[in-house]
Amino acid sequence: MTDFHQTGVITTLHQLGKPSLERLEAELFGFAKARPIALVLPALYSEFEGPAMPGIIQELTKVKYLNEIVLALDEATEQQFQRVRELMAPIPTEVRIIHNKGKRISEVYETLARNGLDVGERGKGRSAWMSYGYVLARGRSEVIALHDCDIVTYSRELLARLCYPIANPQLDYVFCKGYYSRVTNKMNGRVTRLLMTPLVRSIQQLTGPHKFLMFLDSFRYPLAGEFSMTTELARVNRIPWDWGLEVGSLAEVHRNYSPRRVCQVDIASTYEHKHQILSSDDAGKGLMKMAVDICKSIFRTLASEGVVFSDGLFNSLLVTYLRQAEDAIMKYEADALINGLDFDRHEEAKAVETFTRAIGLAAQAFTENPMGTPLIPNWNRVVSAIPGIFDMLLAAVEEDSR
Amino acid sequence: MENFLNLILEPLQVLLTKFSLFLPNLLAMLVILLAGIMLAFVIKKILVKFLLALNFDNWSDRMGFTKLMRQGDLWSKPSVTAGTMIFWLLMVITLMSGLSALQLQAVDQLAAQFFSYIPRFLSAAMILGIGYVLAGFIRRTVLIAAANSGFHYAKILADAIHVLLVVLILAMVMEQLHIAPGIVLAAFSIIFGGIVIALAIAFGVGGIDAARRIIEKENAPAAEEEKKNEIEHI
Repeated sequence: MTDFHQTGVITTLHQLGKPSLERLEAELFGFAKARPIALVLPALYSEFEGPAMPGIIQELTKVKYLNEIVLALDEATEQQFQRVRELMAPIPTEVRIIHNKGKRISEVYETLARNGLDVGERGKGRSAWMSYGYVLARGRSEVIALHDCDIVTYSRELLARLCYPIANPQLDYVFCKGYYSRVTNKMNGRVTRLLMTPLVRSIQQLTGPHKFLMFLDSFRYPLAGEFSMTTELARVNRIPWDWGLEVGSLAEVHRNYSPRRVCQVDIASTYEHKHQILSSDDAGKGLMKMAVDICKSIFRTLASEGVVFSDGLFNSLLVTYLRQAEDAIMKYEADALINGLDFDRHEEAKAVETFTRAIGLAAQAFTENPMGTPLIPNWNRVVSAIPGIFDMLLAAVEEDSR
Repeated sequence: MENFLNLILEPLQVLLTKFSLFLPNLLAMLVILLAGIMLAFVIKKILVKFLLALNFDNWSDRMGFTKLMRQGDLWSKPSVTAGTMIFWLLMVITLMSGLSALQLQAVDQLAAQFFSYIPRFLSAAMILGIGYVLAGFIRRTVLIAAANSGFHYAKILADAIHVLLVVLILAMVMEQLHIAPGIVLAAFSIIFGGIVIALAIAFGVGGIDAARRIIEKENAPAAEEEKKNEIEHI
């Protein structure tokens, strides 16, 4: 059980006591009549072969309040796509699969590219964006919930708690981020604990209070992949296609809406998913790549809001960050000790060294090209450029599902 | 015995003579087919490159042709589709030309009919293409005009007008292609006439009060003027 303290500029919805899942689902069933809910699942075929996806499917068979499920399937052959259709069949909710590698969806991507709309490379960002487009094209849902497909500890309570703040018409929220503690026999979530929070606080220390940084610092788990939002937000938000997805999405939410309409919700007491390797020597993969993309996204967002980054600031930032991260290690060590968790201080220090290098690389990349990788355009712009794109997307998915 | 041999050989000789007369026609047909296939292939390649240079695919995306193709489960690029259509049209023309080189009466008639049909086919294609673009343009114009004037059902009105125009265009195309022209004309007259009558009745019944108000509003200034005149006379 957590405390009920409200932190930062957004609302925090805690898990207090033992709320009844049945009551939550019954209420959601009622809300969904006025605000139908779509669940977006960006998945790789390999996740269907692992332990996570079968468990998620089993839980989703018990969910009755969803209006539709849109699965964006990546890295799957035609045969694997058919297999996924069979695996998803037991779910009572209508399931539509976007076969990203299929010839029809590939042609939709081709259409976007030849009209000058850069939707980036394959990945969660692009899959999520395409799924939002499909939900908007169908026009049958008003709420979109999204979670990853590698959650080993998935329960339908996670989904219910994620959907509730947006689906409930009494609560005027447009965006809700999930949070949880990434704890097994040790503390996970290194990028959030040792990069994100110390970095945000270091920049604030150097540049003074900043609305976006305060907004970011308000989230207990800003890099969580689980969130829900209104379809209107999905229409106007641009999103990055790289690892800067979560930070970039939060930046767009901050840009378009007041923090009063944003909340975070405790969705799970435990959360376990596949872990990335640190990859301290190779900035092209693992946590190192993730860290570089996240840092670049933060720098670019702040620059777009008027913060001036000089070489001197970046140099100071590296030192300030290192101090903040070392302090964080000390705090987490104490937290681990009192809770009887394993804590490898050396591994944590190695992670901080890697993240320091990542900040340096991101700073260099930002200095060389401040504009960086463009965000995927929002759907309003896409429809303006290609008026028939929604019909094409609908036709592609419908034909694929025959 | 010699007579018997002649009886056997003479038909063979006639056959050989006929074949030797037919052989140049057959060769001509093969040459026409070969040249036609090569030409069609080259024209297709040039056409696709030309269309790509003109950004035909982007234009199709904007004008809604690509959407139509996708809804018909055609997933190649519009330029490639256009190239393939021209290729097969040229192939049919080549086949007809090749067959007519055989100088067989039945085939000649078929070829003549086919070639006389080509202008109709081309004009039907033009009606379809231009008509579809025009219908799309009118739909957008109606949508913008209706939405700007605050009409609540702007999209439904624009879509309805679009459907009516598409029906009109398809009827024109069928008529041009001479596909059951009588039935098409009758069906079109019934459907279009029915819709117009339905709209007229709907407006007549539902819009009596609105029409009265409009007429009264129109007459109101005249009556006022008459009143004014009376006062002036006094």
